[in-house]
Amino acid sequence: MISRAFLLVVVVAYTAFAAGPFLWVATMSLRTTSEIALDHYAWPGTLHWEKFPQAWFNSNYSVYFENSLLVVAASVVVLTVVGAMAAHCFARYRFRTNRLLYFVIFSAIIFPPQITIIALFQILVQYGLYNSLVGLSLVYIAVQLPLTVYILESFFARIPADLFDAARIDGYSEWQIFWKVSLPIAMPAIATTVILNTILLWNEFLYAVVLITDEAKRTLPLGIQRFMGDQLEDVGMIATGLMIAIVPVVVMYVFFSEKLIQGMTAGAVK
Amino acid sequence: MAGAAPAQAAVADAASARPAATRRERQPWPAIVGFLLPAFTVYTAFTAYPVVRTLWNSVHSVLPRNEKFVGLANYAALAGDELFWRSVKNTFVWACVSPLTEVSIAMLLALALYAKIPGRRFFRIAWFTPVLMSYVVVGIIWVWIYNYDWGAANAILRALGLARFAQAWIGDPAIALPSLILITTWMWTGFNMVVLLAALHSLPSEVIEAAELDNCGWAAKLWHVVIPMVLPTLLNLVVLSFIGKMKIFDLVWITTKGGPLWSTETVSTYTYKRAFEWSTFDLGYPSTIAAVWFVFVLAAVLALTWAFRRRDRLEY
Amino acid sequence: MRMLRVVVSVVLLAFASAAVGQVKLTLWSHWAAEKIKRDFVEDAIKRFEAANPGVKIEASWYEKTALYAALKTALRAGTAPDLFYAEPDQVEYMENNLLLDLSPLNWSAIEPWAKEIWSYKGKPYGLPLEASTVEVYYNKKLMSDLGITVPPTLQLDAATVADLARRARAKGITPMALGVGDRPFPGAYLTHEALLKKLGVKDYDNLLKGKLAWTDARVVDALRQVRAWTDAGLLPTTFTTLKLGEAHTYFHTNPGAVMFLNGSWYTSRAFNPPDKGGQPANFPLGVMKFPAIAGAACNECRTMSVQGSYVANAATKHPKEAIAFLNSFARPDVANRWLENVLVQTGIKADYAKVGGPHAAYFRELGATSEGARFYFGMPNQVMEGKPKEVFTQVFNNAFPAGSIGVDDAVKQMNAAFGK
Repeated sequence: MISRAFLLVVVVAYTAFAAGPFLWVATMSLRTTSEIALDHYAWPGTLHWEKFPQAWFNSNYSVYFENSLLVVAASVVVLTVVGAMAAHCFARYRFRTNRLLYFVIFSAIIFPPQITIIALFQILVQYGLYNSLVGLSLVYIAVQLPLTVYILESFFARIPADLFDAARIDGYSEWQIFWKVSLPIAMPAIATTVILNTILLWNEFLYAVVLITDEAKRTLPLGIQRFMGDQLEDVGMIATGLMIAIVPVVVMYVFFSEKLIQGMTAGAVK
Repeated sequence: MAGAAPAQAAVADAASARPAATRRERQPWPAIVGFLLPAFTVYTAFTAYPVVRTLWNSVHSVLPRNEKFVGLANYAALAGDELFWRSVKNTFVWACVSPLTEVSIAMLLALALYAKIPGRRFFRIAWFTPVLMSYVVVGIIWVWIYNYDWGAANAILRALGLARFAQAWIGDPAIALPSLILITTWMWTGFNMVVLLAALHSLPSEVIEAAELDNCGWAAKLWHVVIPMVLPTLLNLVVLSFIGKMKIFDLVWITTKGGPLWSTETVSTYTYKRAFEWSTFDLGYPSTIAAVWFVFVLAAVLALTWAFRRRDRLEY
Repeated sequence: MRMLRVVVSVVLLAFASAAVGQVKLTLWSHWAAEKIKRDFVEDAIKRFEAANPGVKIEASWYEKTALYAALKTALRAGTAPDLFYAEPDQVEYMENNLLLDLSPLNWSAIEPWAKEIWSYKGKPYGLPLEASTVEVYYNKKLMSDLGITVPPTLQLDAATVADLARRARAKGITPMALGVGDRPFPGAYLTHEALLKKLGVKDYDNLLKGKLAWTDARVVDALRQVRAWTDAGLLPTTFTTLKLGEAHTYFHTNPGAVMFLNGSWYTSRAFNPPDKGGQPANFPLGVMKFPAIAGAACNECRTMSVQGSYVANAATKHPKEAIAFLNSFARPDVANRWLENVLVQTGIKADYAKVGGPHAAYFRELGATSEGARFYFGMPNQVMEGKPKEVFTQVFNNAFPAGSIGVDDAVKQMNAAFGK
């Protein structure tokens, strides 16, 4: 019994450690900077909800949010379709170079970003895709492709082959087999990769900071970072901005926590 | 029965779920190519070609409208570049220490939750949240926590009467890197815990009863029974964490930018600075850094997988 | 018939103006947050456009780091603007032939040392609009509260400064506001001004270029003096993370410090309205010289450097108009207008006696600190390059003032950076 109480203490302490910072930012987001300067840890006296529209409209957050939304939505949609097509092919067809090609794509997971980023910078500049959401989306698709193919391939491979045989006998073309047989069955795996990719790309920073310098094209992580460089450290406004960035993820989490956890830990369990 | 042999083959297929080796159909090449083409186009254009181009850059001096072949001059310069080697050391230290802290604490937490503490669903969800945040958000929050005057770290120490331990956490070269390692531990322990918990749940239950923490001698049971059974997952997480730390950029960039005195300089921040912040347009030298680092990472991952060679291929 | 004539005239007019050429120049500049300077440049643009119908200049305003990043890519891609902001330490522009040779400018109207700073291989490449010295701003009231009097020479000696630091700390006040959270030069002010005074212009130049060893006894001496100051608690505890803008507010608003070591462009932020980061109304601002160092070769030596300048893109399609625009600055009345409004020095020759305006008193105080001075032209980060520059920044901007590295270690690292 003692040890169980002890465990509870440890667990509660760790929860304070894990969740404390967010609680602090949440309270700061509703206080003005001068209030915060007086006491950094007080509970908000008046709840300054007006800071949120302020941050949204006056500090360009709406632009950053929109850019992130566009880039992430476009990238995830294309990524999922392209990745699923490749994964289906690797899983279902036997041809001599199958495993080799799969390894080629899969091994890119361990590539450190530096090996591609300088050249990507050169390429995008050369083709006029620098400082464009299109260019960034293309890069994001390439970056997340290996992981997506990996997760989907192992799922597609588990689908029993007789489903495909039946479909072929029914006269489905290869593409129809993919679209009408593989995909619907693989929906759970597709859902997890969509969630995983959305979260990873929503938070992505390095490629964005190198490939986007135009204020109007910044994504949300870049936008938040820009606040750090401004003249006065407006702690209150920064906290509000952070909450705007955190809230969509938290909302997704509240509704899809199981799926989300599954998605992000996909492939890690042995 | 005519259908027996194909039926058996189909059963075998269902088990392995891959097309049988003896299938005599023509492979639908147009379809195969069609399925693979988009993925490989993107891959070639934005992953494979850039790697080649970076290697090309590394043996040139790459100035605007003026690329000159310089042979191995960049590599020679790199060998003598202490800032580079410093950043390599920092990155390796991070990549070796972080997995240990993240996984060991996660293991204990997973066991705690497994021991059926009340409210464990809540804890599981709460501990997972740091992973969902952008490194930018995490970095800003922790810069505030580490603030010398009013940050939470020092405030808590002062409230506990331990004011003499209050530090400039990310301003002191001696403790800046450990402070950052603490941040990544904070972020990823929850993730590892969730994975380990799932792994524990998938173990046979007699073993687990023996491992519940409210029995005596649990330490021995933990060491000899539970850990060996979740070892594949543990090693998997260690490798994942290692690879993640080898790539780390965002967190350092937001908090210390590699300072103070290069104590938190990682290879990625150094490459970025050489490419975009030093007073030069040359992209050749930073490409050299990237190429050499690429080899280091590959070698390290291969070494790790060989050391953990329970599995026969690189899977994680 | 009349309709036809109207149409024809309109068409002809259109062709005529196209032939005359609506020339459009693009300009990218820093100072998005510094209203006074921005207003000045936009005013200059309007005047130029009025004097030169047919030329339009479109200005885009950035914050410095964002500007440099945007320029680096734009120059590589060939999409850079016709005119842009630059500082003399950006030698990479000249090394890569990206800038237009500005020899046709009216250099007789520009200070020779400013032209020299912008010269590369004998040719000038920048219009030295903003110049600055390093000043010690101080709060007159706090200073007298501490019982320290600033002598008529406007220069305290080193021991008094240490004493001042102790007295201020005893009262819980930070002696000197200074922060290196987001810039690579403010912390170094403390060291390089001391070194300049101790060594004199020639040897200081040798030191920065690696021709004088950093282990020289005088260098070590000067550094020990600076260390004595920081040990007495001169700098804020948040020195390493305090940002430049925050350091301003730290000095004049909250929590308030006795002194602030900054470039003379202090006014670009401090003379903004208080709610935009400016100093409070009626703030008792004083300016004095950097403290005298014991055993110095030249206590009247100080650094003068060129900061914000404008350059022209070598690939511009309208070099004549670009040069004409830059030339419109090279006049004494423009220089005076700059001085009166922006209150920072300039590389353009000005008639200091005629400077008037609402802040004339401040400007005379600023001038007093440079009286009888001998100048070294250039900041360390403009004179040094490559590895020594990086080590200098990390050591003398950040670590040394913060107390994380000792004098001996610091000089050893600098020597090593120069390959000694």
